[in-house]
Amino acid sequence: MTSIDTVLASGRERLDEEMDALEGSVGYEETAYALPVTYAVTGMAVHDAASAREAYAASGSSVLVAGECLAAAGYAAEGGEGEPYTGFVPDTVLRRLGYSLVDGSIAGIGLVAGSPDDADAAAAICREMQEKYLLTFLAGGVIKTLTEAGVKVGLEYRLVPLGSTGMAAIHFADIIARVAMMFGGVQPGDTDRLLNYAAERAKAFVIAFPGLEDEEVAVIDGFRVLSIPILTPEGYEGGEWIRVPYLEAVREGMERRGIRVNVVAIPIPMACSPAFEGKSIRKEEMYVEFGGAKAAAFELLRVRPADEVEDGRVEVIGPEVGDLEEGSAVPLAILVDVAGASMKKDYEPVLERRIHTFLNYGEGSWHVAQRDLVWVRLTKDVVRRGVAIADLGRLLASKFRVEFPDLLDAVQVTLVTDRERVEAMLEEARAIYDERDERIAGMKDEDVGTYYSCTLCQTFAPNHVCIITPERPALCGAITWLDAKIAYEIAPAGANQPVEKGELIDPVLGQFEGVNRFVKKASHSAVDRVSLYGMMEEPMTCCGCFECIATILPEVNGIMIVNRDYLGDTPLGMTFSTLAGTIGGGAQTPGFVGISKGYILSDRFLQAENGIERVVWMPSLLRNELKGRLEEKLERMGIPELFDKIADETVAVSVEDLAEFLARVDHPALAMRPLI
Amino acid sequence: MSEEHNPEPGNRILEVRLGATKAEGGTRERVYTVGGAGTFPFLGAGPAAGHPPRIALEICDDTRTWSPIVLREVGDLAEDTGAWAAAAETTFGADMVRLSFTSTRQRGFDDFASLGTTVEEVIGATKYPLIVEGSTEPAIDSEVYRRIGEAAEGERVLLGTAEADRYRSVAASALAYGHAVVAQTPIDINLAKQLNILLHETALPPERIVIDPYTGTLGYGFEYSYSVMERIRSVALQGDADLARPMISSAIDSLNVKEVREADPETADEVAIRWEFYAAFSALIAGAEIVCVRHPGTVALLREALRALLEGSHPQEEAYGDESA
Repeated sequence: MTSIDTVLASGRERLDEEMDALEGSVGYEETAYALPVTYAVTGMAVHDAASAREAYAASGSSVLVAGECLAAAGYAAEGGEGEPYTGFVPDTVLRRLGYSLVDGSIAGIGLVAGSPDDADAAAAICREMQEKYLLTFLAGGVIKTLTEAGVKVGLEYRLVPLGSTGMAAIHFADIIARVAMMFGGVQPGDTDRLLNYAAERAKAFVIAFPGLEDEEVAVIDGFRVLSIPILTPEGYEGGEWIRVPYLEAVREGMERRGIRVNVVAIPIPMACSPAFEGKSIRKEEMYVEFGGAKAAAFELLRVRPADEVEDGRVEVIGPEVGDLEEGSAVPLAILVDVAGASMKKDYEPVLERRIHTFLNYGEGSWHVAQRDLVWVRLTKDVVRRGVAIADLGRLLASKFRVEFPDLLDAVQVTLVTDRERVEAMLEEARAIYDERDERIAGMKDEDVGTYYSCTLCQTFAPNHVCIITPERPALCGAITWLDAKIAYEIAPAGANQPVEKGELIDPVLGQFEGVNRFVKKASHSAVDRVSLYGMMEEPMTCCGCFECIATILPEVNGIMIVNRDYLGDTPLGMTFSTLAGTIGGGAQTPGFVGISKGYILSDRFLQAENGIERVVWMPSLLRNELKGRLEEKLERMGIPELFDKIADETVAVSVEDLAEFLARVDHPALAMRPLI
Repeated sequence: MSEEHNPEPGNRILEVRLGATKAEGGTRERVYTVGGAGTFPFLGAGPAAGHPPRIALEICDDTRTWSPIVLREVGDLAEDTGAWAAAAETTFGADMVRLSFTSTRQRGFDDFASLGTTVEEVIGATKYPLIVEGSTEPAIDSEVYRRIGEAAEGERVLLGTAEADRYRSVAASALAYGHAVVAQTPIDINLAKQLNILLHETALPPERIVIDPYTGTLGYGFEYSYSVMERIRSVALQGDADLARPMISSAIDSLNVKEVREADPETADEVAIRWEFYAAFSALIAGAEIVCVRHPGTVALLREALRALLEGSHPQEEAYGDESA
């Protein structure tokens, strides 16, 4: 066992000595980047021993610079090693490699250096790297070990044999330096940008085997400055080198550098595409169905520790499709377990909703509703073609990985069709649903420093900006604060951007300095200020997607709310659609505001205008939909009687009738400060 | 909206350079700069007017899906991509050729070597900057754009087309071989902005991006495209740096619409030219810096219209001459 700490010092000393003893010319051919690492770090184009020593000093005695100068001196004196070794990779070849890296056809790069004792283990590591779309460079005895074990090496196999000694590892660094200069716009001599580029873009790691000379260890250890982790399955201990078991080395390296492989084709015997999303499967076409009130069924997506999730694993517990009679209704539990470094428990419900979308992508699979109300069908046609219940799991596992590459590292799916087990798990699932509802319901605006924007609708309402807070979902009702947060994490350049709320300007109106600044910019200077919690002064703009409109009724000093589904007249004398045409398009219309249904139940609901206590009218449809939750809220507020004081169209459609009703029930709005 | 007419001073569309002279490592006798405007198009002379727009003639390497009206017009040229490209510049008077690799659209296309050969052939036959359109099939993107990029290395061609879910190969090719990129989004200002940001994240410099907001054909949705072009230009001039790029417009389906396909053979050319002309001309008014058409006759008509529009805003030589021969 070699102690890194011990050999580093002697390795550095050897490099120093060799630099001192350096003579003659120093340089590579077929490159416009001189000695690439040295050039990138110092900006100096080295060509002989003297300039090499100068650059070495200028770099602050960088081991990488020393290693490169020594390697290039060897080249200048004797040329490359020749077949099968590539040695220094010329610019033209490198350009292609860089292309594949930027283009994503290579997921990342790895260096395997040293002389492994166990040829099979080394071969297994290289095979895994090939399978994971990594480009692997080899330096040292490992090349001989591999070729003797029958492994083919060469650029075409994505196993690049750099050279017979560990010192050839330096070419791994010169490749990264040149990619940074060619593709990353890093200027020679700008070390900070080089290191940034390496940290953010160079998806690289090293696996080191025993047998490296001291100075080779020193050079490879120097790679750490480029944010390259050094993993070692055997032979070394100490320093900053990371001990890993053989089988874990590649996974560990990929994980540390955030390298992810995109799975493209889904290995199931039916087509899978958004094209099939809108289809329905009629009873006559159906082979088997799950849930849908005919049998217990539910779906649950949970985040699990990485070691409990085996990526791609699909298991069916209970009867498979072949065991089921045509036309039967069967229980089903869809359990999706996910793992990922940046995956959080809060994301579970949002990702769980995607089960619906993904299962509908299947040519012959259909899914409706959510949670413990799900209903799934498979067609006779695809069952005849060999689609099994397990294929639904494969579909889900692949789609989740493909759609959320940055969020999820592993997805496994368990499908349970055994009645007893499904029923037993149902209670547990319901407890989790309740817990989630509470978590979102319990979130307050003051608990967070960041709100989110939504500018999806700028396509047709060019200056409209939605500000989404925990207590005020987007006015379309489709995007909560958590949804927006996740959308941002998944697509950082997308339509949901973080909005630092900044200094509080007015706690009642809900005006924040940061929000105003954001809105001004995102609305292209059309809107200077917005009140998140009010409708009379600088209310939020409306696109056209609002679930409901809240407007003032000056005659009764109250607020009425009308929802999109209500087609009749309102006490304002306008239907929903007439009203919508008046206030949409990205304008600020004091006295009128587009809102989601969820916002009505929020404690922040139009608090500047006294909130829910000011509401005098809403259609019975909406009133009934909100009934349970609204009554609960009013109970909590100590005004349970208010619910019955809110009129609907069965009580009043004209403002005169409404006024009479409100007076009769003594609605609190009548006694409030005038709205106008 | 009143503010659209009062762009903040100092906000300009980025300049994108196309083509490279011998001194710059290419072989073009003319190079163009597009963009640079600080105000809406055709509002008069002065530095705020930016560089003059350019007219591109589209040609292809596999004519099976190309409009029979155009093929009749160009005759044997269609069989010889190089000669077709040369004629676009000399006979038809286009500012540049847009070469579409329609061969890559066929199922199971794998003759990647032919792409490089054709690019080299067209480069050899032409003197002005080029636009090259690669595949539309993600599975072969990587190979296609590498071949094209490599064959055109140093010429600073405008490479198409990057889209939101498949921009990596085009961007990589532009980065590796020094080209510019057409960034296309489906008539949506937000997506246009998002794609520019995504391209920026690949380290592609902003001055190597041309926005293609996608142009619907006249009578088949062109008004949406017009409006989105106007809006992109408007917010760019108001200071949205992510959208301050030149635009390219090509109403590629113009010659496939029923009115053109079923036109009386006697007047078919005239109908085809008008159909292309009005979309391209309107796109220029909306702010497009490069307009692309397929019928040679449209080039001449556009040239005439552009001349009339530019009179007073650009001296003739600057408008149509080369900048650096």
